[in-house]
Amino acid sequence: MDLGKALNGISALTMHSLRGLLLSRKVIITALVALFVAFVMGYAGSQDVDALSDGANLLDVLILFFFMPVMAMIFGSSLIRDEIDSKSITHVATAPLDRAFAYIGYYVPLALAVSASMILITTAGFLSFFIQQGVDRSAADIYLAFTALVVIGSFVYSSLFLATSVLFKKPVFFGLFYAFIWEGFIGSIPGAIQKASVKHYLRSVGSEWVDYGDISGFDASSMGASAAVLLGLTLFFLVFGAYLFREKELS
Amino acid sequence: MNTSGRTSDSVIVAESLGKWYGEVIGLNNFNLEIRHGITGVVGPNGSGKSTLFKLVLGLIKPNTGKITVFGQTPWGNSKLHSAIGFCPDYESLPPDSTGREFLSLVGHLHAMEGATLASRIEELASLVEMGHALDRKTGGYSKGMKQRMKIAGALIHDPDLLILDEPLSGTDPIVRKELIDLTKRLNKEHGHDVVVSSHVLFEIERMTHDVALMYKGRTVASGDISEIRSLIDKHPHNIVIEGAEVTALAKSLLEEDYTVSVAFNDDRKGITIQVSNPEAFFNGLPAIIDDTGCGVTSMYSLDDNLEAIFKYLVGR
Repeated sequence: MDLGKALNGISALTMHSLRGLLLSRKVIITALVALFVAFVMGYAGSQDVDALSDGANLLDVLILFFFMPVMAMIFGSSLIRDEIDSKSITHVATAPLDRAFAYIGYYVPLALAVSASMILITTAGFLSFFIQQGVDRSAADIYLAFTALVVIGSFVYSSLFLATSVLFKKPVFFGLFYAFIWEGFIGSIPGAIQKASVKHYLRSVGSEWVDYGDISGFDASSMGASAAVLLGLTLFFLVFGAYLFREKELS
Repeated sequence: MNTSGRTSDSVIVAESLGKWYGEVIGLNNFNLEIRHGITGVVGPNGSGKSTLFKLVLGLIKPNTGKITVFGQTPWGNSKLHSAIGFCPDYESLPPDSTGREFLSLVGHLHAMEGATLASRIEELASLVEMGHALDRKTGGYSKGMKQRMKIAGALIHDPDLLILDEPLSGTDPIVRKELIDLTKRLNKEHGHDVVVSSHVLFEIERMTHDVALMYKGRTVASGDISEIRSLIDKHPHNIVIEGAEVTALAKSLLEEDYTVSVAFNDDRKGITIQVSNPEAFFNGLPAIIDDTGCGVTSMYSLDDNLEAIFKYLVGR
């Protein structure tokens, strides 16, 4: 198959999967999470607070710290696994499209859908807080920084959870462990061990972009090293997942 | 089609093929050659038909032996899928998509696009008589409509080989007839080689005379169906005869060479006779009934089910 035909197949699969993701119940979950974040940040915004620092801290804790890996897990753990379990993947697996290319056709819409979901949640939280505290240039910079961070996080976490959905029969169990125990706990304890979490490198990048709140004074790895680790992890999990998918027996 | 050797016009060749799932054997030392035309693969549930098809499609890889399709190994060979269309026996249509969206997806996955794809979708919808439901969600289709749409999906790229796994399963008699006619047309008018599976021998007989009988992961017979029928006829058959005065009938039957045994049923209203040569038995029975004067009210074979036939063929 030449590259043009492969791109045609990837494009078709991307559109099909993206439509499936954006029309699924995951949209309702996104809306509920956005409402929750809006409520929490809206309440905080109604109090007497340091707008820029506390706003950045809330986005850091609620969005980057907690909901980023959780939403990626919710979207990513089921995409390929559901099709394998329902056997609707047969039409993809019996097409003249190398499964490694087909895997890309699942990854791209997943990363886009998680990005869209996280941007919506971030925007809901930001607006509910800063509308009460006032939206100025500094507030807008905070918003743009966290929006960029959740997009980067979406591509990294999506590669991880998509690979685990091929690797495990019940990927959600691994996803829960990873999102809550590894990222939530290991990624928060002091010392070098937290460098074993994706969150550390996302916050390291964020510390260069955000001038307010705890993230700005974070004991970060260098920007270059963090970007390299995030890119390396994404590529590693993409190649690993594509290899697993290619070698997987679909019985 | 045969189970040994290969010819230049082979479509599928399996040699000493073995596939197992943990301790469960899917195929065991399986040998088969399928040639052009329509070929029926017949076997009871669990005989390995679906495993064979998954190996043909490269969805799973064999543990032992070798399988080739058009001379190529299927596992890891996505290019081969251009030549194969597959209609699975399970639900595989995305329920939230319309028939047109489904066919469009499959067409794009086969590198089709634009006006060519659009006209092919219309053409296939007409062929499988689904034009009226093309823009309806597949989740609302009946079983027969789903089967037709899956067949359309398998045909979208005009494959040389079409594999239909239990296409008649769960459909009503009218749909069965239509699907049987469609299968024959696909071969006769459109030139597709078709491999179709079923666990009902007479359904396959209506489509083709080339059959392979599978049982417990092995080919127990293959070739022209009339040869297989004669092979089956060489094995003892159990036949139940019910009516009045069956004792005299039993006594007369015991004198015949083809009679292996005669047993009275629990209700004493019938006998079960085992015969070694069913053809001779059925030919001679009317005269025996006349001679003994018994009134036969019903007669049926216990061996009509495929499982019993296969047990004979494997010598159990």
